[in-house]
Amino acid sequence: MKILSILATLVVATATASAHKPSDAHLALHGDGTGLTGRLDIAVRDLDAALQIDDGDGTITWGELQAAAPRIHAYVTSRLSLSGDGTPCSYTLGTAELVDLSDGAYWALPVRASCRPTTLAVTYNLLFDLDAQHRGLVHIDGQTLIVRDATPVTATVGATTSTLAFVKEGIWHIWEGIDHILFLLCLVLPAVFQRRTQRWQAADSLRDVVVEVFETVTAFTLAHSITLVISAVGLVTLPSRFVETAIALSVVAAALNNLLRTIDARWAVAFALGLLHGFGFSSVLIDLGLPSHELIGALLGFNVGVELGQAAIVLVALPVLFLIRRTLAYQALLWAGSASVVLVAGVWSYQRCFI
Amino acid sequence: MLGLGAVGLATALTGAAFFAPDRSVEAARAYTPSAPSAVVARVPKRDPQEVAERQALAAAPDRVELAVALARADIQRARSLSDPRYLGRAQATLGRWWKLPEPPADVLLLRATIEQSLHDFPAARIDLDHLIALRPDDAQAHLTRAVVATVTADYAAARTSCDALEHLANPLIVEACRAPLDALSGNDAPYRRLERAVADPGTDPSLRLWAQGTLAELAIQRGDEARAAGLLREILAADPDDTYARAALADVLVVQHDPAAASQLLKGHEQIDNLLVRRAIAEHAAHGPEAARLVQAMHDRIAQAAERKDRIHMREEAMFTLAVDGDAQKATELARANWDVQKELADARLLAAAATAAGDRAALEPVLAWARTNAVSDARLARALETR
Repeated sequence: MKILSILATLVVATATASAHKPSDAHLALHGDGTGLTGRLDIAVRDLDAALQIDDGDGTITWGELQAAAPRIHAYVTSRLSLSGDGTPCSYTLGTAELVDLSDGAYWALPVRASCRPTTLAVTYNLLFDLDAQHRGLVHIDGQTLIVRDATPVTATVGATTSTLAFVKEGIWHIWEGIDHILFLLCLVLPAVFQRRTQRWQAADSLRDVVVEVFETVTAFTLAHSITLVISAVGLVTLPSRFVETAIALSVVAAALNNLLRTIDARWAVAFALGLLHGFGFSSVLIDLGLPSHELIGALLGFNVGVELGQAAIVLVALPVLFLIRRTLAYQALLWAGSASVVLVAGVWSYQRCFI
Repeated sequence: MLGLGAVGLATALTGAAFFAPDRSVEAARAYTPSAPSAVVARVPKRDPQEVAERQALAAAPDRVELAVALARADIQRARSLSDPRYLGRAQATLGRWWKLPEPPADVLLLRATIEQSLHDFPAARIDLDHLIALRPDDAQAHLTRAVVATVTADYAAARTSCDALEHLANPLIVEACRAPLDALSGNDAPYRRLERAVADPGTDPSLRLWAQGTLAELAIQRGDEARAAGLLREILAADPDDTYARAALADVLVVQHDPAAASQLLKGHEQIDNLLVRRAIAEHAAHGPEAARLVQAMHDRIAQAAERKDRIHMREEAMFTLAVDGDAQKATELARANWDVQKELADARLLAAAATAAGDRAALEPVLAWARTNAVSDARLARALETR
């Protein structure tokens, strides 16, 4: 019965009609490394008033809206303009989706502007000729500007890129960059299998394994933090082709070490090669438009993000490896996996260096 | 173990970094409907005649009679659907004349009506005075002026307008115009007269409904909530879309300690702010299953109105703040600010209740002064002040 009543509530909740409110549109923009990104949300009802999207039956379908997309884009382009620090700033519109706000569905249009100014002027002139109570609400970095007519409004951008944003970038950089993931996995892979006197055997204690992985990851962190800082502040800069090639070669080296067992002290491998990865991280950070006045927060945030991203990968991989350490599957993974990483990363090295 | 703990913590933080909400609008998740046939929005069916008129107006933007007809249709729509969007559209249609100090008389009337709906009573009053100077026999202008003057507590001006209707409108309209003014101080005669007129089978049905609403107000003022409930139910039976009657009946039910019935009455009408606020209050008071959702919806609406700096819902916001948030201090501030804009009985009762709950004697003073000056007699107001 309880479930039935919950279901009934849900049905009622979704059946509730949209709120009646005056017309608003939302333009949310924020600065990133190379420009401004965000979204323009316009009520579908308002677009219909401006562009007669409905075929006359009183219902607007997704198909009707999509058919009208070029007209909507032309309408927006002719009535919205941006200007950064006094010079016009061009923007492109992406593929629209929908978003449901309290008074119904809105056309959610991605906006990408090429400028990255400190002062942004927005000239917004949508819908006012059809609805005198329409308001354009421009959200930039936590400020909301209310637009009532075609007079430009200005806002300060950029000073507020939060440390948290850099944390996110750090996490994503690790997760999206397959080279970092492979490097890390190559270092973690043999940890559950340790050398006793002259023979290799599966580790007995999880504690030993965790300590060893912890040492390895810490060494990697320490190393790439050092080079990240010295290159981000401009003390040492290396050409990116060299850095990217070296990172790919470091992955080859780590995988090769699993096959040849030349160096047992993997923390030393992690440290030495980690120095290279730090240069790679700093180029990402510079691409993000590293603001000089919040360098510390950005470096700290990005580094913390990188650590979190690494920790998440290790946390997933380590228990699995520990459980399968005595099986044939583990041996296959160690040998065949490392061998294929050598091959793949070898190809990357070639591509990054010569292509 | 320490290492595992650290890694676990790191992962938890990773998750938190990703799921931490962004700003409200950006957080609204965009999606792509599954099929082109998915219905995305509903709009009033396009009226071919209206489309033709709009095209004609676009071709000849000076044709004021076309603009007036189109704006009037949108104002009508705003009323019947309780949807403020159409007020903005009506205003835009009159855009060419909107800022003129002396627009054509028809535009003056519509401009005043829109200003009144947007709670810009001083501007509406100026336009109506101006219009009456131009067209002394415009019954609609006198009636609207009486309403605007009553809302701003200018009862002398309201009476002049009701008197002017004497030779221009149906006697029942004149009666319903005067009754609230006469009854303000507790005079019984207007109530009896209106009651007889409503009972008269010869009365025009739509006028009767309108007079019944006024009669219900007077019954509430006399403390006869049961009689008011009966009248309001009759109005709703005849016209379920009468938002005013539905809101008034819900208020009566709450006063009669039956918030669950009030909530039931308002169910499915939440798209209208006036009714959403009352349903949220009623469901909250009744500890109903939808209370949390409705209270959240109301908070969202208040936040959205604040985002565009709309101040036309101060009465509703004050009601909600007092009854649901239990913040008498803030409710008093809102009710006090609302009192500067409109001074109907409902506004006086609200400020009295909030200021009494907050123990704020200074905020109470304007209501007391108003009640003294006009010798106001009102059962709900008296109850609100009693608990001091």
